[in-house]
Amino acid sequence: MNYTKEIREIATRLLENEQVDMVMAWEKGDLEYQTVPFIARTVDEVSRIVCDEYSIHNLSNSLLRFRDGQEKIAIVVKGCDSRGVVRLLEDNQFPRERLYIIGVACPGVKDPLLAMKQNSGFEKVQDQDEGLASKCRYCLQPNPVIYDELVGEEQPLAELQERFARIEEIEQMSADERYQFFEDMISTCIRCYACRQVCVACNCRTCIFDETRPQWVGRETKIGDNMMYHLIRASHMAGRCVECGECERVCPVNIPLMLINRKLIKDVNGFFGPYEAGMEYVEGRKPPLSVYKENDPDDFL
Amino acid sequence: MKVLKTGKIEQVLDRLAQQADVYAPMLRGQQSGFFSWRSYDEDYDDLMFDILNVYQPPKDIVLPQTEKMYSIHQDGQDVTIEPIVAEVEPKIIMGVRSCDVRGIDYLDEVFLTKGYVDDAYKARRDKLTIIASACYNPGTNCFCDSMGVSPTDPESADVIMREVTGGYVWDVKTEKGEAVTKQIEDLLEEQEVELFPLKSFLRKVDYSGVAEKLKDMFEDPMWEKYSEPCQTCGICTYLCPTCYCFDIQVKNWGDEGYRFRCWDSCMYREYTQMAGGHNPREAATERFRNRFLHKLQFFPERYGRPLCTGCGRCIVTCPAGVNIIKIIDTVKEAETGA
Repeated sequence: MNYTKEIREIATRLLENEQVDMVMAWEKGDLEYQTVPFIARTVDEVSRIVCDEYSIHNLSNSLLRFRDGQEKIAIVVKGCDSRGVVRLLEDNQFPRERLYIIGVACPGVKDPLLAMKQNSGFEKVQDQDEGLASKCRYCLQPNPVIYDELVGEEQPLAELQERFARIEEIEQMSADERYQFFEDMISTCIRCYACRQVCVACNCRTCIFDETRPQWVGRETKIGDNMMYHLIRASHMAGRCVECGECERVCPVNIPLMLINRKLIKDVNGFFGPYEAGMEYVEGRKPPLSVYKENDPDDFL
Repeated sequence: MKVLKTGKIEQVLDRLAQQADVYAPMLRGQQSGFFSWRSYDEDYDDLMFDILNVYQPPKDIVLPQTEKMYSIHQDGQDVTIEPIVAEVEPKIIMGVRSCDVRGIDYLDEVFLTKGYVDDAYKARRDKLTIIASACYNPGTNCFCDSMGVSPTDPESADVIMREVTGGYVWDVKTEKGEAVTKQIEDLLEEQEVELFPLKSFLRKVDYSGVAEKLKDMFEDPMWEKYSEPCQTCGICTYLCPTCYCFDIQVKNWGDEGYRFRCWDSCMYREYTQMAGGHNPREAATERFRNRFLHKLQFFPERYGRPLCTGCGRCIVTCPAGVNIIKIIDTVKEAETGA
């Protein structure tokens, strides 16, 4: 994927015509496989913008920094990122009028963090072509679901037979086995909160984990507090996770967080669905867990 | 020269583990860090002496991420407060790189010098033996030599292992080093070998004069610019071998409770949150600036050296591509006196 030229043209036009105050996109870091978030505010800065095969970072979460402002913002989104934008609109975090959405039909991208790790000497396997990022192998929607302008050819939807395969295996475990599985998985968490910080579903102004009066969750990195952190985060993700996979990608201790998220996606769809978060923006429509219906199932409680 | 053959590393670990808790670089499932040899499981763990470094530095061996300090017990009107003194077992960290050894040096400065000695830290540090592993082949993001660290001669190591073909030269540096060497003497071989030359560093940075210049750069636009992509997670601080900030918190259940110390990160809002509700570092830019000023200005002002060992972990793992070298370069190039 390389839409650098197209995105730069659009960005130049938007900034020149003063249609927007800034364009959220990516730029190159100092290594060839590094592509990092970048905001261009002037036409001069547009030449730094890139949109290449390493443009994996979901920018929709960065909109939150501007939610109290008046600026008009152009944002470049892939399929998964666009679902994040829909979620922000649904949650009234951003008015649609302040956004100019540049959609990019995405054939799948590579992960600069993985490339960085493989080339830094910190991993045994080195200097390999790392291929598509793992999150792209489970991609449900490569095409932006909301946009003002689309770049690139619409991509075919993949058949995802394996999407819940691992979840179903875990569901088959006994309660004790499953507890052990999650304890092993979560006990290694160092509570850097990177999963929360990159998450577009995490749009609370003050996160429950930062509350001090009262302090809902202890700060010890022991299984009890770690479990509370991940369980509470998980329940908050239900019906909100757009499966962009950023949490799992940035985790410095490689916790397979998407296992938790996919279980929630599967259950929300099963109990309250059919539903896939952020697949379509309909003004005023709310996700299933943001509304109460008398016939909501509750036998799992 | 005494040489330890690669095939005998596990025997050495077994032997040393009889008298100490030995930590070695491992890949444990998906985790990459220093783990206790006693918990080694060959189906699940991979020893990693042969790679550049592991992601999680050995910091938590001397400064545990969570550590209990006092217990509190209430009985009617009476309150009993007792210090919790954990029993400290001798520990050995084997295969530590120079950057991480220097990281421990900086923790020593903080917890043992300038008129205050942290007893819990000192107890662990006194019983710690460091078997370092010299680096001859720096990685893509390494810049330890630019930060005044010698990749091949970590100063405070007790033993330095020097990789040669088929094994490691066992270079004893201190009395502690002598003591561990005695335990494994029969596993070492006398042999003349040639050391590898140190390859050149790909990344270089000139830190000289940076601390001085930063004094006038508190309001510099660079902070706004470089902090823009920062998502204020704690990856950089928690994977840093030198970041030592901690918080002291309490847990209570009814009449029982305890006070504990746990790592904290200046990237978190809560770090500077005051009781009255005011937060002097509310914005990401302010927290970001503080992190770098602490590393590059405040720490050098107090201890004479920057709080960065050039290990490159923050560069490798930052999801937003924040790069400390770029910041040092920018300061270096800046025209000051404004």
